Formats: sequence, C-alpha cells, structure tokens
Amino acid sequence: MSHDTPAIRSIFSGKPLRILIGFILVMNGMFPALWILFTSLKTESELTLKPITWLPHAPTIANYLRAFTDQPLILFLFNSFMVALLSTALTLFVSVLAAYALARLHIRGRDLILSAIIAVSTFPLVTLLVPLFEIMRALNLLNTWIALILPYTVLSLPVCTLILVSFFEGIPRDLENSAMIDGCTRLGALFKVVVPLAAPGVFTAGILAFVNSWDEFLLALSFNSNPMLRTLPVGITLYQGEFAFPWPVISAALVVGIVPVAVLIVIFQERVVSGLTSGGIKG
Amino acid sequence: MATASETTLVTARNESGTKWWTRFLDPSERTLAMLLLLPAALLLALIIVYPVCRLVWTSFQNLSLTSGAPAAFAGLENYSLMLEDPVFWETTWNTVLITLITVPGALLVGLALALMANLPFKRKWPVRLSLLIPWALPLSFAGLIFAWFFHSEYGVVNDVLGRLGFEGVIWFNSANWAFAAICLTIIWKTSSFMALIILAGLQTIPRSLYEAADVDGAGRLRQFFEITLPLLKPSIVVALIFRTITALQTFDIPFTMTRGGPGTSTATLAMYIHQNTVDFLDLGYGSALAVFMFVLSMGVTAVYLRMIRAKG
Repeated sequence: MSHDTPAIRSIFSGKPLRILIGFILVMNGMFPALWILFTSLKTESELTLKPITWLPHAPTIANYLRAFTDQPLILFLFNSFMVALLSTALTLFVSVLAAYALARLHIRGRDLILSAIIAVSTFPLVTLLVPLFEIMRALNLLNTWIALILPYTVLSLPVCTLILVSFFEGIPRDLENSAMIDGCTRLGALFKVVVPLAAPGVFTAGILAFVNSWDEFLLALSFNSNPMLRTLPVGITLYQGEFAFPWPVISAALVVGIVPVAVLIVIFQERVVSGLTSGGIKG
Repeated sequence: MATASETTLVTARNESGTKWWTRFLDPSERTLAMLLLLPAALLLALIIVYPVCRLVWTSFQNLSLTSGAPAAFAGLENYSLMLEDPVFWETTWNTVLITLITVPGALLVGLALALMANLPFKRKWPVRLSLLIPWALPLSFAGLIFAWFFHSEYGVVNDVLGRLGFEGVIWFNSANWAFAAICLTIIWKTSSFMALIILAGLQTIPRSLYEAADVDGAGRLRQFFEITLPLLKPSIVVALIFRTITALQTFDIPFTMTRGGPGTSTATLAMYIHQNTVDFLDLGYGSALAVFMFVLSMGVTAVYLRMIRAKG
C-alpha cells in the first residue's frame, strides 16, 4: 500500500461509490466459493453451532482428508482430467482442420456450413440421451472414457471451429504461401505456420473445450455408473449418504474441484473472455 | 439480388478463366477441403445426426429394457401416453416456468453486472475474475453450494434473514420455496455469462456517441435508453438465445439441489427424460419425451431467428 495519497484522494473525490460497486461485483462472484472454503475448514461441531459462525474458529484440514478417503476423490479428479484433456485435444485437432478448410479453401456453401455449425451449438444434448445411451451400449462403450470423450468433443466443436475460423482469417495468406514455396505441403504449412501464429486462438478454444468437458454432468451421470469411472461433478454427489449430508466433507471436495478450473481461469482470463465473446458459447 | 450474384458469377469466371465450377472450388482444393471437414462430419454424424434419426424411430417403439420383451412397433402409443401423463405436464410446466423466470432474471442481473463492471476500475482483473468464476463453476457444483446456502438450520441465507429480523424459511420442504431457491441459483450461475457477453458489447460502443449526447443535453437515463440499449441489442439477443436453449435443458441444478422434490414439484423435463431412460430403462417413452423437447427447443430457436431477421 505505497499508494496512500492517491487512494485517499480517490476516496475523497467521489470514488467510494465505485469501490462499493467493485466490492458488490467481487462478492457476487466470489462469495459462494469463499463460503464453501470457510465451511470446508470448519469442524463438524462448529457447523452445528447456532447462530452459525462465518469464519472458521479453529481451521482444520480434517475434512479434506475425509474427502479423499470417504470416496475415491483422486480417481474422480483423474477421470475428469483425462476425459477433459483428451476431448479437448480431439476437439482442437478436428476443429483446426475444419476451421482451416472453412477459412482458406473456397468451399461451396461455406456460409451454409457455418450456419449449420451455429445451429448445432444450440442443440439440446439431453434429447440425445436415449439414442447415445443405446449406441454406447451397443458399442460396449458404457463405463469407458470414450463414451464421454466423443459427445464432449461434439459439444465443443461448434464454438471452437467458429473461434478458429476467425483467427485463421486474420493470418495473412502470404505466410503460408511462402512456406509452401519453401517445400512445405499445405497441411505442413497449416501445422508449422498457421497454427503457431493462431496460438492464442487455439489456446482460447482449448480452454473453452476443457471447461465444457470438466463441467458436464448429465451424460457423465448416465453413461458411467461404475464408481471407478465417475467424473468429479458426478462423484461429488456420492458423498451424500442415505440420511446424512456431510457438508464439511462435501465442501472440501468442492474446493478441490473448483481449484483446477479457477487456476486455469486466473492464468488465462483475458483469453477466456475474448473467446467467450467471439464464439458466443453456451452459459 | 439477381444482378449482384450475376455480377459475381461473371467476375469469378473472368478471373479464373477456366470452367464454371472453379468459382466454387479449385480442383486440388476440393479433395483437401473434403478431407479436412471429414473428421468433423463423421463425429457430427455419429453423435448427432444418426442419434436424432434413431431417437425418432425409438419413440415409435415399445422398448423397455426392464420388461425383457423385444422392441415392437407401437405407433403413437408413447405419445398418447405422454399426453395423459400428469408428471409429463408437471415437468414441462416446471421447465417452461424456470425458463420464463430465469432467462429474463439473468438478463436483468447480467445487464446490471455488466454496467457495473464497465466502470473505469483501476484494476480490471478482480472484476473479470468475479464474472468468470461463476461461469466456469460446474452447474452441479453451483447446485450443491446453494443447497448449503439455503440449508434451513445452518444456511447463510437464513442466517442473514435472521439478522435482518425476518423469519428463516425451510426452503426445501415446500414446493414454492424450493422452486424459488432453484431459480435464484440458476440466475446467479447464468447472469455472469450474460454479463460477459453484454460487457463485450458495451465496450464496442464509441465514447463519442455519449459525448455528442452530452452536448445535446441528454440525461444519463435517456443516453441509456437511446444509445446503450439499442446498440447492445445484438449481444443481448445472442445471449438470450443461448440462455433460453440451455434453460429448456435445465437438469444439473434441480438434480443436485432437490432431486426434483418435494415429490416431483421441482423436477424438469430433462430430469424426467433421464429418469425414464436411465432409471426405468423405458427407452421408447424416454424417446417420445426427448422428441417433444427437441421440437420445443427448435421452435424456440426458430422464433428467435425470425425475431433477429424481422428487426435486423
């Protein structure tokens, strides 16, 4: 706080209102996560105090230990991470190819394809629950990562393709052309020249795909009933006993689940915002 | 219109100087384009096109995995069953109500958040982060977190109500209060997404417009309604389309908060599809429900698209 003078000056020049608004904004976004963090650090006996306490009196990590031992939380994390990572990789690969074709090659009905992509992104995935369930059952893919990776890839494909098309269109054609004169094939030029130059866009698309997969609940709940293959959002609902609801333990598991995505968001916040607004993704 | 395309055609022919179809695709590029689009097309065919066809087919079948009987053509039986099923009507009504409450709710809250976030803060990252975290939080997590918020004994909502001198509410024992809790949670979770989209729209409005309005003596409120809102319309419409479509699919938050209870008073259509399919393994009936939702969803999209075209 070496900026005492400007800070004080700003308060006295009519800025307290702005500070208050900033506080409201931050609390609206952060309070639920903060409250869960506080809950996760409380002991079970503190949780039954009335009136309730806000900050934990004697912070404990016991709930975190229980979160990892009551349920295979590590496994949930691993499943979620692998499914999200693999579907992100597949999404990026498929959408880089498609976006390059749409951005660079003179395709008949390009606008029609782009409209179809936008239409697909408004598709209600719930309605595919029955047929996808049957398909995955027929292919013996229920209770595998693949049962989730394939739908998640399609879930993120539209928005990633749209983002990448706009990024690819911003890259001068001359750069690829000169690479091709130097002996690159067209695909070589795509992966050696265009993709590296569009790296910010690829990153943005990748983060959106990752968050989409990390968050998905319904298909994960329906397709992978084997406890060893549950993803985190589904696994977290298993802490609830038949009658008991161990809130401190659930809170600890939630904190563990929030941290990876929060870290991702903190590091790449500007890119996520630009991706959200350029692709118009689902909320 | 005709003249314009004819002109393009002539120019294209003149430029390429070869056969007419080269204006669409350079022959060497044609194969490449198809190859590049192939993986996406295959995935879409496997995960969307084929399943949709199969969905419609299954909805005309008697296909229950628990009965052990082989699939049999049932005509419109599933659909007539659906129309007589009170739970179908209840869950559909709940879904429509959630959409009607949370979409405008999230729009208003999101607009307010965006206007607030657009103030010239010295540090932008805490504001940006406070909009991104709710967006990135899984819906199922939001459901669990807010179930704890609304806990009748130890929830922070009742605690705050108590401190303000109000009686706490036993949120999840009454259909109406449980429904209110779910709607509040959805509005919190989705308003940040709305705010991010609207904020991006706000930042494209040139300052000079407001300066000119200042010169003309237009007040803040008039500037908002005559400059800000009209120019925000495209971003608002995009946000509304996506939010409405996702609202019709509401599953995670009621599932984690109330499991549809008490009774089926907070169950949504998506939850009913899931229950019939995964729990009861009645694929025929589940498919009929899904076809209904599909038609509902496409209908809403079509209406929105018409609105955009009519006004744009």
